[in-house]
Amino acid sequence: MKLAKKECVAMLLAGGQGSRLGALTTKIAKPSVPFGGKYRIIDFALSNCVNSGIDTIGVLTQYQPLTLNSYIADGKSWDLDRMYGGVQILPPYQRVADSEWYLGTANSICQNMNFIDQYAPEYVLILSGDHIYKMDYSLMIDYHKKMDADCTISVIDVSLKEASRFGILSSDETGRITDFEEKPKKPKSTQASMGIYVFKWNKLKKYLEIDDKNPDSSNDFGKDVIPLMLEKNEKMYAYKFRGYWKDVGTIDSLWQANMDLLGENGFELSEENWIIYSRHAEKPPHYAGRDAVIKNSIVSEGAVILGTVENSIIFSGVRVGENAVVKDSVIMADVEINDNCIVNYSIIDEMVKIGPGLKIGKPMGENSEITVIPRESIINNMGGII
Amino acid sequence: MNALGIIFSDIQDWSMTELASHRSVAAIPFGGRYRLIDFPLSNMVNSSINKVYLITSSNYRSLMEHIGTGKDWDLSRKKGGILTIPPYAAGENHGLYQGRLDALKRVLDYITSSKENYVVLSDSDMIYDINYQKVIKYHEEKNSDITAVYTKININKSESIHKILYEFDQDGRADDILVYPITNGIHNVGLNTWVMNKEFLESLLYDAIARNYKDFSLNVLSAKVHSLRIYGYEYTGFFAHIDSLQSYFENSMKLLNIDNLQNIFYSKTGPIYTKTKDSAPTKYSKDAVIKNSLIANGCVIEGTVENSILFRNVRIGKNAVVKNSIIMQHGIISDNSKLDSIITDTYTFVSKDRVLLGYSNCPFFIKKNSVV
Repeated sequence: MKLAKKECVAMLLAGGQGSRLGALTTKIAKPSVPFGGKYRIIDFALSNCVNSGIDTIGVLTQYQPLTLNSYIADGKSWDLDRMYGGVQILPPYQRVADSEWYLGTANSICQNMNFIDQYAPEYVLILSGDHIYKMDYSLMIDYHKKMDADCTISVIDVSLKEASRFGILSSDETGRITDFEEKPKKPKSTQASMGIYVFKWNKLKKYLEIDDKNPDSSNDFGKDVIPLMLEKNEKMYAYKFRGYWKDVGTIDSLWQANMDLLGENGFELSEENWIIYSRHAEKPPHYAGRDAVIKNSIVSEGAVILGTVENSIIFSGVRVGENAVVKDSVIMADVEINDNCIVNYSIIDEMVKIGPGLKIGKPMGENSEITVIPRESIINNMGGII
Repeated sequence: MNALGIIFSDIQDWSMTELASHRSVAAIPFGGRYRLIDFPLSNMVNSSINKVYLITSSNYRSLMEHIGTGKDWDLSRKKGGILTIPPYAAGENHGLYQGRLDALKRVLDYITSSKENYVVLSDSDMIYDINYQKVIKYHEEKNSDITAVYTKININKSESIHKILYEFDQDGRADDILVYPITNGIHNVGLNTWVMNKEFLESLLYDAIARNYKDFSLNVLSAKVHSLRIYGYEYTGFFAHIDSLQSYFENSMKLLNIDNLQNIFYSKTGPIYTKTKDSAPTKYSKDAVIKNSLIANGCVIEGTVENSILFRNVRIGKNAVVKNSIIMQHGIISDNSKLDSIITDTYTFVSKDRVLLGYSNCPFFIKKNSVV
């Protein structure tokens, strides 16, 4: 069936394991990791799409997709339950001749060409589901059109020290990309790719087909497709993004991104014309008790705070018992911290039960590390984890 | 058992002059993020009632905006769902509904065309948590014509004038029904919630049309207490009747008790649903002080909040002190202002350095969109 034509279709890469997040991603995929009191990481890319006027999104899933599938459901939380378009989950599937997992980022798009072709788009926007940022993609698409580019890559300035973690590119004064290196040991510039690409769909299709036939390719955008297009002298431009952007691929960066929400100059979630949508449980407002202390923190609905919370992010349904103290921590949904517990510098995953009277984590300091408690753990009075 | 729910949104508007001046009682904000309609509506959804008629007479814009398609209550359905029914001028029927019976007469065709066997009638000004399926089962067991839900509580004269009181015989059958009496003491107070067989309701309405009856409580309940089999179903949980500004204030403050919160919002019947707003979680500054308060999402708190309820997207400025107050959504309390025993309606702006004082038995009310 030929559906109504869409100018731009977004493809959201959400299949990665995010192994550097350790215990947080043993049961769920990285894009479903909770963030910021009531969100999951994928909410940022989905909300950016909706706020940028993009209403047709394919979400490519592979690793532990259950939470993600049921979270996205029909997309109505993001206003993506549309007659034409909307959000669609795209897992790997069997075909007549073969069947295979998504081998790389480019391969996952290649296997879903028919999904994109239904909408006959001019442009395809490739996104990853593991970054925290607010970005108007329509401005990037405008730039892509103005430059008549074949591919536009969104870039952000990073420090030279960090540069070797990213795809680093160099461009001339017109913004045209002259060089691209994935995770270089000696970076030539500090312009890091944000993993956000706009392609002319016809052009991308051609390169995906070439890449698919190359047995030596790892079928990855950064490693294979982008370098190949550059080699063939296609018109590729860098689009400079200025604003908050955080790759939350590690425990430290996830903790830091949560903390960036605090304070007056933090990353602002309550911008009226750039709402971050999410799916949330039906919970009443949060309750702070007679002896509660809440300082420099974020607290979501359904929480009950009877003790002290400082410099922390409290998700919905969390209970902090009497005389309990939570500092410098991220406490995810439905965690119970019972009376007299002390929690320092930790990330506590969903549905954990602690206490009463236990100490979790070491106070934040130069040599201390973040303590991570995996989901649904029950930590009893003996101090063991069940 | 399949039942049709009928909710009256504004039967008692007359008693709520401040909060219902520009909205129906059903649309009065309550409990930090809800509207009163959310409570009966959630009770129905949690009792597997999937078809609801919402009868509304006037001032219904904010109510209709709140309900939308009904999807936040899971009532956007192909079969059933929620239908808002404002007055409709046709033939002799025009003007606002004059009481429950008049309203029901004028939606008779909708009642007749629905296929459910039972009808559950409810108002919007009472908060309680009940599974209607249990009431329907009791209704069947007693083979009653009308089953009225009641609760046994102590009331004073100012409360009784907005209530229907029941007296029952040993079997639980009503033998006297008093409508809006002036009395005090322990009484069987009606929750203005009734269960009937749909066919029975239809016959009642044919009779009401023939005799030009308009008032359900007077013309049916009270007048026919001996000829009809009216039984009482006792409810024993949390109960609040919002029938004046004072009762609104007192019942709101009851939510600052963790047992009450638990009973209302985490009951076995199910959660209370409401319109989703996508506000970010609430942000506390390093100087925030908070005691015994209920805070919805989207607030920014830089001052002191004690014994208060903050609705969604409220801002409390630096050194501002809010005590014993209810600040409805989008209220802004600027730096250094002090509020005690105040109810601010939605979108109120209190400038810097203001001092506003009410008293616990006479909260001061500030109307919607005010600038102080």
